[in-house]
Amino acid sequence: MNDLRNIDPNTAWQPFVPSAEIPWTDRLAAHLFRRAGFGASFAELEEAAKKSPDQIVSEMIAKSRQEQEFRDVADTLAETVIPSGNARSLSAAWVYRLLRTPNPLQEKMTLFWHGHFATSAEKVKDPRMMWEQNQLLRKNALGNFGSLVQAISKDPAMLVYLDSTSNRKAHPNENYAREVMELFCLGEGHYTEVDVQELARCFTGWEIKNHRFRKNRYQHDGSEKSILGKTGEFGGEEGVAIVIQQEATPQFICRKLVRFFVCDEPELSDEFIAPLVRTMQDNDLEIAPVVSQILTSQFFYSKHAVGRKIKSPVEFMIGTMRCLEASGNTQQIAEGLMQAGQGLFYPPSVKGWDGGRTWINSSTLLARANLAQRILNDTVTKFHGENLGDYLRTYDIDTPIQLIPWFNRLTMTAPLDPIIEKQIIDRIPANEARDEKSLRGIVEVIAALPAYHLA
Amino acid sequence: MKSSISLSRRQFVKTSLGGCLSIGVGTAVPSFLANALGEQVKQDENILVVVQLTGGNDGLNTVVPFQDDAYYKARPKLGIAAKDLLKEGGELGLHPSLRGFHELMQEGTASVVQGVGYPNPNRSHFESMDIWHTCLRKDKKRSDGWLGRYVDQNNGSLSEDVPALHVGGGKQPLALATRNVRVPSLNKLTDFQLQGNHQEVIEAVLETELTSPASEKGGLLDFVQSSTTSAISASKRVSDAVQQYRPEFKYPETDLARKLSTVAQLINSGLKTSVYYVELDGFDTHAEQVDTHAILLRDWSDAVSAFMKDLKARDHADRVCVMTFSEFGRRVAENASGGTDHGAAGPMLICGGKVKSGFLGQTPDLTDLDDGDIQHQIDFRQVYAGILRDWLHVSPREVILGQFPPLSLFS
Repeated sequence: MNDLRNIDPNTAWQPFVPSAEIPWTDRLAAHLFRRAGFGASFAELEEAAKKSPDQIVSEMIAKSRQEQEFRDVADTLAETVIPSGNARSLSAAWVYRLLRTPNPLQEKMTLFWHGHFATSAEKVKDPRMMWEQNQLLRKNALGNFGSLVQAISKDPAMLVYLDSTSNRKAHPNENYAREVMELFCLGEGHYTEVDVQELARCFTGWEIKNHRFRKNRYQHDGSEKSILGKTGEFGGEEGVAIVIQQEATPQFICRKLVRFFVCDEPELSDEFIAPLVRTMQDNDLEIAPVVSQILTSQFFYSKHAVGRKIKSPVEFMIGTMRCLEASGNTQQIAEGLMQAGQGLFYPPSVKGWDGGRTWINSSTLLARANLAQRILNDTVTKFHGENLGDYLRTYDIDTPIQLIPWFNRLTMTAPLDPIIEKQIIDRIPANEARDEKSLRGIVEVIAALPAYHLA
Repeated sequence: MKSSISLSRRQFVKTSLGGCLSIGVGTAVPSFLANALGEQVKQDENILVVVQLTGGNDGLNTVVPFQDDAYYKARPKLGIAAKDLLKEGGELGLHPSLRGFHELMQEGTASVVQGVGYPNPNRSHFESMDIWHTCLRKDKKRSDGWLGRYVDQNNGSLSEDVPALHVGGGKQPLALATRNVRVPSLNKLTDFQLQGNHQEVIEAVLETELTSPASEKGGLLDFVQSSTTSAISASKRVSDAVQQYRPEFKYPETDLARKLSTVAQLINSGLKTSVYYVELDGFDTHAEQVDTHAILLRDWSDAVSAFMKDLKARDHADRVCVMTFSEFGRRVAENASGGTDHGAAGPMLICGGKVKSGFLGQTPDLTDLDDGDIQHQIDFRQVYAGILRDWLHVSPREVILGQFPPLSLFS
């Protein structure tokens, strides 16, 4: 078990400095890229080895503010599928973006917020609304948490999803007010039922009409409210601000970020995440400084973090493909992700994906293996535009014997048992050098190993 | 296609394991294989299959009180003549489409629970369906369903095979919504089988991997390893089952029958899933109801009876209970369009080898209506409670979120 009781929180979140004991290796760089994004290609890792972790993370965060050119292409793609009215195509457009983005950290954070402010196209149906929410999450992915909650509180897709498109003075709708406190900011136990009712009154008059947010002042209850110890004639924004300002907010978010980036287990104590909470508070709830502190910390590069997460289906599939610079049938990948339990734009409930062990059962494991199989055996799938054999040639990889350890370093947290390596080689004979089928088969078999699902 | 090598290896494993066990030498058996074998032997867990009739089934024309004049008075056009009904003695007759179900009743393996509903009935499809799915009304936060709670609360004791399965495409019913354990939907059996050219390599490599000493006990890798064991063994069992499967009775060519045949194959494969959920849509019969309703009931009855016969032939009938419900019944009086509008209480239909057969509850009183609708006399949560307590063997209270006296459904 991952026992954290003997770790000093203050040391844990101090910057990692490579040492003789824990040197900066390509394996550790691969760990960073897996967690901060969806894995790195061999070329990216070679590049990373020349830099410090701190430098890499700074670059990742800086990048989220650039790269307009790629964004334009990916946005156009999404825009073209909207008129179809089919949100499933939107899911494929996101897969395209995940595969190609030069800025994986931003997409990773967008995915994090998609799970946090979970909204499903299953109910919302309108792809434009879903797309606009997705853009909102992307734009604020590493921005200010307070601004993000304020914006999401007026987001049409969110309010449709939570049946809160009409908030009337006479019948305040408590649904959104509850979720803001329970699932978005504070967590259970940090508010009362009365707080929910009072906050709901702040939202009266907020409506979605013709797919747009608007305030209907005739339906707003302007009288006094009392929320979490504060009293006043609050409107919706002020109500949200009171919730955001609670100490429990940065605590709730930091705990979730650590779980997302560092380790699935165990449950983290308040003391353990306190240094991160301070960072978030000191930075006026900016998200980037906390993410940066997490990704450059001693704890992040320790044995308590490496291999301590179960890959999500997206991390599993997109990660496999990005490590090999692969492109493929995005529609099929999107469908496969759905089968494996992570349909993009289709989270299971307002609670999002629980992650960790809940990703795994007989059905999702078979769905993962079958998805990898389908994509790898599809001739449409290319690796930097080439066959796998030709692509690997760039790295002087010709045979299965060379491929196995090479691919293992890119995608897995620990070396393979030599017995397993031998068995794979024996069972997938290469008839000739760069036998395309065997090379793809080897990737497929490795991707089915239990240890492959760890990040 | 599965090659003979794989089959013979499998045969070998079975035989040699059998030999080992019979002379009491079990320790040398690799856990991966022992596990697969163990799961094949142990198949005694009870299974619940839920069939949802979506749209509001006209209960009064499903189970007909033909001796009640009020019935024919309220339904001059839609009333079914006594001579056309399938009778089981007594004052009730079944819709002529329910021949298959009628046979099950005659065999003593089916029952009708009369007048099931809940207080202050809601006549919106969605709202009423949500109430049936969650056991909660709109004023409460409904983030999980009753079967979802069953799964979440019993996760520890359920196997690593998926605890519940939704068979069918489309949106997953709220009843299966969970907080922790994911419930998958499955459309085709191939979703549950390892596909491609390398499945045997994968199986072989995994057998080696999984028999190597366990990593940190209880850790993540250990967990993924044991889940993989279950997955591969489930895949093998489903593949074998599909290969060997010959339906003992021909299923009708309907969507529901296809789904139930899938469920039968999964049960037959030894999958340790305890809840299956399927739907049949189209019961919202506001106009020209006669033919539509007859077809829907026939689809349901023929599919369920083929399913039960199939299970019986394979010796599974005694551990399967099929529970059929709809979100509400329909108005007692027919409308001017040859149909019926949204109503309240209706019958639930229960089938299974261990089901207490016959009609449970009082025949609805058509002279004492609530706003034109049949009043409920049995709360649907009593039925759930009976199934949870006596069939799935769990305490109902936390699942149905309240105390309702369990209805005794099984003999």
